[in-house]
Amino acid sequence: MSEQLINAIAEMDEEGALALTRELLAAGTAPTAILDACRSAMEVVGKRFECGEYFIPELILAGEMLKGISAEVKPYLAAGQADVKKLGKVVIGTVKGDIHDIGKDIVVFMLDVNGFEVYDLGIDVPPQVFVNKIQETRAPIVALSGFLTLSFDSMKQTVEAIRAAGLRDKVKIMVGGGTVDEQVCRYAGADAFGPDAMAAVILAKGWIGVN
Amino acid sequence: MPPTRKVLACATVMEELQPWLPAGIACQVLDFGLHVNPPALKAALQAAIDAAAADEIILGYGLCSMAVIGLRANGCTLIVPRVDDCISIFLGSGDEYRRQARSEPGTYYLTKGWIEVGDTPFREYDRLAGQYGPERAERLIRLALKHYTRLALIHTGPGDMAPYRAYARSLAERWGLRFAELAGSDALVRKMIFGPWDDDFVVIPPGGTILYQHFFPADGRESTDPKGLAA
Repeated sequence: MSEQLINAIAEMDEEGALALTRELLAAGTAPTAILDACRSAMEVVGKRFECGEYFIPELILAGEMLKGISAEVKPYLAAGQADVKKLGKVVIGTVKGDIHDIGKDIVVFMLDVNGFEVYDLGIDVPPQVFVNKIQETRAPIVALSGFLTLSFDSMKQTVEAIRAAGLRDKVKIMVGGGTVDEQVCRYAGADAFGPDAMAAVILAKGWIGVN
Repeated sequence: MPPTRKVLACATVMEELQPWLPAGIACQVLDFGLHVNPPALKAALQAAIDAAAADEIILGYGLCSMAVIGLRANGCTLIVPRVDDCISIFLGSGDEYRRQARSEPGTYYLTKGWIEVGDTPFREYDRLAGQYGPERAERLIRLALKHYTRLALIHTGPGDMAPYRAYARSLAERWGLRFAELAGSDALVRKMIFGPWDDDFVVIPPGGTILYQHFFPADGRESTDPKGLAA
């Protein structure tokens, strides 16, 4: 039935995907199996986008389906881990001057379902707002997202603001989104970049020392 | 003999270059749709550069989602405006684009060129309605535009803007965006054709490659945002 869920998401059948998720959960399917199906489906959607079969709206709908499925799955995730202890805190946002959040929202979803406590600051986030949130939460991980190339300077300025606040050695910073790569990461002064949402989870887990 | 020149430009940018091009200059228009797929755009540009047989090739592009990074100047000099994308070209400078982005990041930009050749989220509606039905299409477009507050029509070049204004205004009303008109500038367009190719441009000599550092120098002194306007 996981296969059906993958197909429903990949074919943009929103109602079908949610109904299948509920059926699977009711039948005792492991929540992690459902999340694995989501991940496979997102790979299919990503490939169809790359080859020009899907466009931005399909990516957005896929993101919406993930949010819906996430809401259904979460109670079961919690039930499976009686003593729910979050792995660690992550402050995330789309940097100043950019309003794109499809990718950022998928990263939030992946970090969330993988056990992180995520503080999502939204879009067009000024450097000082990141700094304030890091101070307030003492989060050890910061994730900066941006789609436009305009955002690269904002990423750099955000990292500089974190440094100026004396917090640079207290946090690990990842950057991602759009065409962000190793060069942008170096330019911004961040610690790492991730090409996709799963990479964000792997980086975050690595930084706090869990597998 | 003066150097031979060729202009390789996206259809939307060529629309603005056209009125200024000297007679007889070689031109090639590349498909506008390539902009959503940077690797495909890069490949198309490199193929066009390699086949151009000109001493100087002016690229009617910006960084364009990093598509120009890695392009090789095989047997020619490459000239490309040091800007993020065509919106800077239409507004006349990267600084002006940054000013606009800072004051209202949720802006959907249109020019007459975009309206003529572009597919916008607005036209996406028809495709989506055909594929998923009108209700889901409506929901998808509204989701796609949820962070957008303004639709800005940039006035570029000569010509009657009235039909484009009417079209853009109707789109803004249809999708609940504030309609605005921005003064465009031909400053960068003219400089692309007539020079001087100063700090506003990345100029790559024969045999060279366009690098990330050309747009974003490590010391930040000559980044595309020299005045830090994005902050």
